[in-house]
Amino acid sequence: MTGTSGEKSTDSSGSRKLRIALLPKIKGISYFSSCFKGAEEAAKELGVELIYDGPTDGDPRKQAEMIEQWTIDGVDVICVAPNAPDVVAGAMKEARAAGISVITWDADGTTESRSFFVNQASARAIGEGLVNTMLQDLGPETEGDVVIISADATSANQNAWIEAMKPALGKSKLNLATIKYPGENASNALADGQDVISKYPNLKGIFGISSVSFPGAAEAVEQSGKGGQVLVTGLSTPNDMKKFVHNGTVRSVVLWNTVDLGYLTIHVAKALAAGELKDGAASIKAGRLGELSIVGDNVMLGDIMVFTKANIDQYDF
Amino acid sequence: MSRSQTPTIGHDSNTVRLSVRFARLIRHREVGLLLLITLTSVVVGIKDIHFLSFEVWRDILVRCAPTAIVACGVMLVVVTGEIDISVGSLMALLAAVMGRMISENELDLSCWIGIPATLCLGTLIGVCTGSLVSLGRVPSIIVTLGLLTALRGLTTLMMGGENIDRLPEGLTQLAKQGLFGVPISILTAVGVIGLTSVLIHHIPLGRRLYALGSSAESARMAGLSEVRLKLFVFGYTGFLTALATIVDVPRLPKIESGIGSEFELLVVTCVVVGGVAISGGQGRLIGVLLAVVLMTMIRPVLTFIDIGEAGEKWTRAIQGMFILLAVVTDSFFSRRQRGSEKEHAA
Repeated sequence: MTGTSGEKSTDSSGSRKLRIALLPKIKGISYFSSCFKGAEEAAKELGVELIYDGPTDGDPRKQAEMIEQWTIDGVDVICVAPNAPDVVAGAMKEARAAGISVITWDADGTTESRSFFVNQASARAIGEGLVNTMLQDLGPETEGDVVIISADATSANQNAWIEAMKPALGKSKLNLATIKYPGENASNALADGQDVISKYPNLKGIFGISSVSFPGAAEAVEQSGKGGQVLVTGLSTPNDMKKFVHNGTVRSVVLWNTVDLGYLTIHVAKALAAGELKDGAASIKAGRLGELSIVGDNVMLGDIMVFTKANIDQYDF
Repeated sequence: MSRSQTPTIGHDSNTVRLSVRFARLIRHREVGLLLLITLTSVVVGIKDIHFLSFEVWRDILVRCAPTAIVACGVMLVVVTGEIDISVGSLMALLAAVMGRMISENELDLSCWIGIPATLCLGTLIGVCTGSLVSLGRVPSIIVTLGLLTALRGLTTLMMGGENIDRLPEGLTQLAKQGLFGVPISILTAVGVIGLTSVLIHHIPLGRRLYALGSSAESARMAGLSEVRLKLFVFGYTGFLTALATIVDVPRLPKIESGIGSEFELLVVTCVVVGGVAISGGQGRLIGVLLAVVLMTMIRPVLTFIDIGEAGEKWTRAIQGMFILLAVVTDSFFSRRQRGSEKEHAA
């Protein structure tokens, strides 16, 4: 495996630029925009052409249409963040049959539809990380109810995290009272937050595990005047949560480095297309991220990050 | 009850008789909705007394406000025999435009410029929709279906993948805490409901809208301008959508491109469940408002009856069943009413 500087020079002397298509779950939300930022950085570094497009409403059928179009256009690599693995699997397999390398990122697809999955963090690391952060902020011996506000009932990532959170919550003195599914709808997320605050008088914490439900739940706590009594933690970008961290409604924001996720995805795509990344590889060199491990067919970005009042202003995504 | 196809000399008295019979029937439709609201509240209240608290109902009414405001407009659109399914996307676009203008991180213009501009833009888009429908003779379902996608796309472009926050403190305070403890969206909804009610009952315009909806042909013969009336209802809906955006969106933590998604479906559902005939010409505001309360109640009701983890995954299906239940209850009451009328006749 050659270093990045070497790759760059061979690329510019090559006949044509590699074309890599990056498909987010939803185009136009801040989470994926920050991934795109990192992807652009890697594309510039590696001298590849980056195509970034996705459905604005998160419709997986539109994702499938885009994959089909890119297959016809003959791009070199397609990187998919599937919204519904089964819906896009057909188009992904056709792309592979046409000789295009297909990988998944952010959310995994069915195993036969892709070669590698760029995994931001294992579901276990995220689930346990969320619970541990909550326990740390509340005090490990705290008793009472907690609620999870997720995305849709079909969101594969969120469901995997919830499954990982349950055993961790089971070991604590907190009781998981309910799980709400407001979808990607900010009004519903705020409404669900308000309702669980009224419903559970012994509520100690809310987990908002999507970039819509986390700010929604925080807003609900703030508007009901329960800041300090009900703690909110969850997964979202630092930019979305800064104001809540500074006013004390939220103490910790859990996430991975989304810019690095986009950056790594393009590095994996490039290495795959250039024949540098083969099945069974144990690691990959990814530019400024250095050498990252591959577990099975999962390229691991690394650990989760916890943003608090002390460090959140250092990040802009 | 079909619309009269052949206008005759006796048409006017015919319409009057029909409308009297419908008024009677529709009164029961509203009784049905009110019963459903009350029954549900009592049952859920027995299960969990917190549901009947002041806080819960204040939250529910605040959530009702934008739906009620926009439903006042969409109801009149449906009364004239048309439909508007673009209000959710219009709300998103207006929120984006408003945010770009008045957010402290963006242009940071004064609210005195940003708010009237948002109202003007909403009204303008509504009038454009109305002119495509009335002058361009394109069916309103097609025009607004196109706008549903186009306006959402435009919003995504405008937002450029970023969220907008930091709206002026004064505006967010009015939306969250309100004037004398009453959120501004509720005050606005009360005003809009009053205005719409006056419009329907006390000025000729209202009667003309109903006349146009019951029979476009005879309305034309009576010398009513179809174009002007349709420009009005779509323009009014655009204006009200802007108003709802201004009073409700500052309540949310941020403006993102997904704002208002499925709002159009909620509004149309309320209008239909509220008893407005989709073929035009009939429908009362009070029915629509009751339907707004009923539809908005569903989410908190599901939280308070605690349907369990598996049940939560069925939220959408249960919401759908609730709508069906409302419609079935309606038609049950209507049929009974019709039956008793027949007995009277016999």
